[in-house]
Amino acid sequence: MRSAAPTTSDLLHGTLDALVLKTLAGGPRHGYGIARFLEDATRGVLSIEEGSLYPSLYRMERKDLVDAEWTTSESGRRVKLYRLTPTGRARLRAEMAAWQQFSVAISRVLLAPA
Amino acid sequence: MLWKLRRRCWELWHGEQLERDAEEELALHLELAAADRVSAGLDAAEARRRARLELGNPDAARDALREGRAGFWVESVGKDAILALRALRSRPAFAAVCTLTVALGVGASTALFAVVDAVVLKPLPLPDPSALVRIYDVNPSKGVERSGVTTGNLADWRRLAPRYRGIAGHYTMGRTLTVGQDSEVVLTAQVTEDFFPLLGVEAALGRTFTSEEARAALYDNAAAPVGPDPVVVLSHDYWQRRFGADPTLVGRTLVLERRPARVVGVMPASFAMPAPDVQLYMPWGFSGDEPRDQHYVSALARLAPGASLLEAEAELRGVANALAREHPRTNEGWTVNVVPLQQDLVGDSGRTLFVLLGAVSLLLLVACANVALLSLARGLERGHEASVRLAIGATQGRLLRQFLMEPLLVSCAGGALGALLAVVGLALLKHFPAGLPRIHEVALDPRALVFAAAASLAAALVSGLPAAWRRTRAQPVSELSGTPTRVAGAGERHRIRDALVIAEVAMAVVLLAGASLLVRSYQRLQAVEPGFDPRGVLVAPIFLDMERYGHDGRSRTYYAGLIERLTALPGVVSAGGATALPASPLGPDFERPVWPEESASDERLRRPAWVRMVTTGYFRTLGMRIEAGRAFDGRDSPDGARTVILSHSLARRLWPDGGALGRRLVVDYSTAGTYPYDVVGVVNDVRFGGPRSEPRYEIYLPHAQRPYLILNVAVRTSEDPRRLAPAVRQVLRELDPGKPAHGIHSLEDLLGATYSRDRHAMLVLSAFACVASVLALLGIHGVLAHRVRERTREIGIRVAIGAERGHVLRWIAGYGLRLMLVGVAVGGALAATSARVVSGLLFGVSPADPAAAALVLLALPLVGLVISLHPAWRATRIDAAVVLRTG
Repeated sequence: MRSAAPTTSDLLHGTLDALVLKTLAGGPRHGYGIARFLEDATRGVLSIEEGSLYPSLYRMERKDLVDAEWTTSESGRRVKLYRLTPTGRARLRAEMAAWQQFSVAISRVLLAPA
Repeated sequence: MLWKLRRRCWELWHGEQLERDAEEELALHLELAAADRVSAGLDAAEARRRARLELGNPDAARDALREGRAGFWVESVGKDAILALRALRSRPAFAAVCTLTVALGVGASTALFAVVDAVVLKPLPLPDPSALVRIYDVNPSKGVERSGVTTGNLADWRRLAPRYRGIAGHYTMGRTLTVGQDSEVVLTAQVTEDFFPLLGVEAALGRTFTSEEARAALYDNAAAPVGPDPVVVLSHDYWQRRFGADPTLVGRTLVLERRPARVVGVMPASFAMPAPDVQLYMPWGFSGDEPRDQHYVSALARLAPGASLLEAEAELRGVANALAREHPRTNEGWTVNVVPLQQDLVGDSGRTLFVLLGAVSLLLLVACANVALLSLARGLERGHEASVRLAIGATQGRLLRQFLMEPLLVSCAGGALGALLAVVGLALLKHFPAGLPRIHEVALDPRALVFAAAASLAAALVSGLPAAWRRTRAQPVSELSGTPTRVAGAGERHRIRDALVIAEVAMAVVLLAGASLLVRSYQRLQAVEPGFDPRGVLVAPIFLDMERYGHDGRSRTYYAGLIERLTALPGVVSAGGATALPASPLGPDFERPVWPEESASDERLRRPAWVRMVTTGYFRTLGMRIEAGRAFDGRDSPDGARTVILSHSLARRLWPDGGALGRRLVVDYSTAGTYPYDVVGVVNDVRFGGPRSEPRYEIYLPHAQRPYLILNVAVRTSEDPRRLAPAVRQVLRELDPGKPAHGIHSLEDLLGATYSRDRHAMLVLSAFACVASVLALLGIHGVLAHRVRERTREIGIRVAIGAERGHVLRWIAGYGLRLMLVGVAVGGALAATSARVVSGLLFGVSPADPAAAALVLLALPLVGLVISLHPAWRATRIDAAVVLRTG
């Protein structure tokens, strides 16, 4: 069942990647943790479809934007933690700047008085 | 970058582990999501259901993981290969034709590359081969371009030229070896003491010569060893063939020229100096006073470390000048040329071989273009597959990779088959010696195999890319739905196809142009007047030994008797002999200065002339013309006056007014004295080295007055000369069983061998041109047939609305003709620009030869037109009614 709110599969790849990078900027998390964070952070507007989250994470891991490590959590279970790499950090900065530009431009058109 | 590579390798190994990890990760996600819902109030089962729904399709995640994995790539390539194999198996005829075509192309080019590699590219199989050089004596003032060196000078060179680490000499001639009852003439090389050390090769069995043996090995004027019994070293090939690779041969004594000769060693198999056909080596020492005017020694040298060729040549020229000042009578005007040994051995063959290599590459391209055409035609029928797959999300790259798999498989199979064909071809080549140097080194070694692999890969790309690329293009919906109203994108497909055919025709034209030029050139060679009539003549070189025949004129008696007996044989018209016979490589061939007696002081008339001793009947046997005076006869006996016969150009040079007859010619015979000779005759010039050689200045002396031990005996018969060989051998055996001839050949064969390289180049290039032309014509035919099939509906409609059959015929055939003409034009332009490449091989023919051009520019389009008539005719048979009904 799909929620009425836009899901991450509606987003372009790049946007989802940027969101994930920003999430990891705050510290290493595992996949579910990233999903929950994004849901909370967007106040439920975006619901994260895991069908697009994990491909994004694997892609970025391959491109050396994030680093992944299997560790044991406090509860004793094996979790795969994702962490931002320096390359990823630089990419995040670039994405943020690009988004800034993009959104300003769109807003100028859409939010202009009729 | 390296990190990525390591990661890829790690991924390759741990593929399964990665997949399990991903499963675990997704399972964890599910668990956590369910746990959250439970804590929000749902019951466990509902929580899990909701969580799973939210997780969505895990396959996307799995696929994303898999596709990035390195191992996945290998797996998917493997799957592509299996699919391609299945597709090829379903069309065995197509696969077979393509594989064979590629095999022919790759096989021919690999074989030729192996030859080029062995003859031209690979360094000689000797230590530090780039430092090895050959030294020639030259005398520009006397017009001597390339001559042997003298033993007297050689000794001084060694002392006075420090830029050479060593200078060795060798001299090859035939000697009779007797083992038990059997005698045969073997090619023996006298080599100086430093010959083997200089070349850096040790004996494979036993040893080479010691310094003592070398110093003691002196020879007399007739090249017979004086002093202690000679020691010999065998070549590897001779040791294998004659003695069955007997390991106990070293230490045994054989009989060489009636003297015991002890075998001290056998050379390794790879050693082929100074020539591959040398069978025996003998040491050679110099006495104190060696002559400085007998230029018969071949000189090899090794440059000192750090010395360049130019420096060394300049230094040796300086030494030669100093020697000329010291010994003006013998050395004046003589200097040296130094050339790298490999270059000297390879000579002209390099040019021919590279031209052939270029030609075979064109052939390979034509073959690949044909396969590409076939694939294009076949690809049309499978066009839907690509459209469907593109529609459901496959990338073009992925499709391209898969569609290239078929041609890759075909090319792999074709390449492997081609390598086998190359092995066969090379084996055949060894049996039919093409007059190429270093041919014994040709083999299908790793370098040639790398070439074969590269050629196969190139074949795969050239033959597969057009069709594969075409197939990955998305087809419009109309085609997907199955009713091809118009074949959309047809224009583009036609362009590729037409371009391929035009390219094929162009390349075939280039090859045909080259081949026809070579054929014309060869015809010109054959038409050259050699100055003698080789038909019906048999040649047998005889090497008498000093011990038995060197005294009391025994050689004279022997040869006179031999010629008498040969003349008495049935079918023999005449017989005679000469120390040096045209086109025959054996026998003493040397120059001596000659001048008219009355102009002894005139330097300009002092020329070197090549000296031959000939018996009576020689000129008649060879079919040479006596232009003035007479041939030798009974008057030219040992106690008669000294007589000489001149060649036409020499007589003209020395006595331009034509009065040579009756005059006297002085011949400086070095150690045998300088005397005047009566000119009793003038004969026509001969091309001694074959049609490509210019006539030389020659003088003929009567053998009776100078009874040389070595003579090439010639016999003219009225029938096939080869049939006479057994009778000749019999006569020789009767006269002296220990004196067999060293190979009996017909003079026609010997003459033909002088331009065998031209013949082989012509045959090979013609073969390439024919195959390429056939392929190109097949290409045209296929394209036209396909076009007719494609446009069947259109043709039917046209006929239905009133087009005549003739119009349809002209339309199709005209299309074919247009393709041919464009191809011929392109090919003609290409051939014109590359004419310079071939011109070095031609003889008496310019690259712009009209006959050759006419053949190519007219014949090919005509044949192409005829070929196009078949599909055009099929087009006219199309029944309009049937076509319109079935749509």
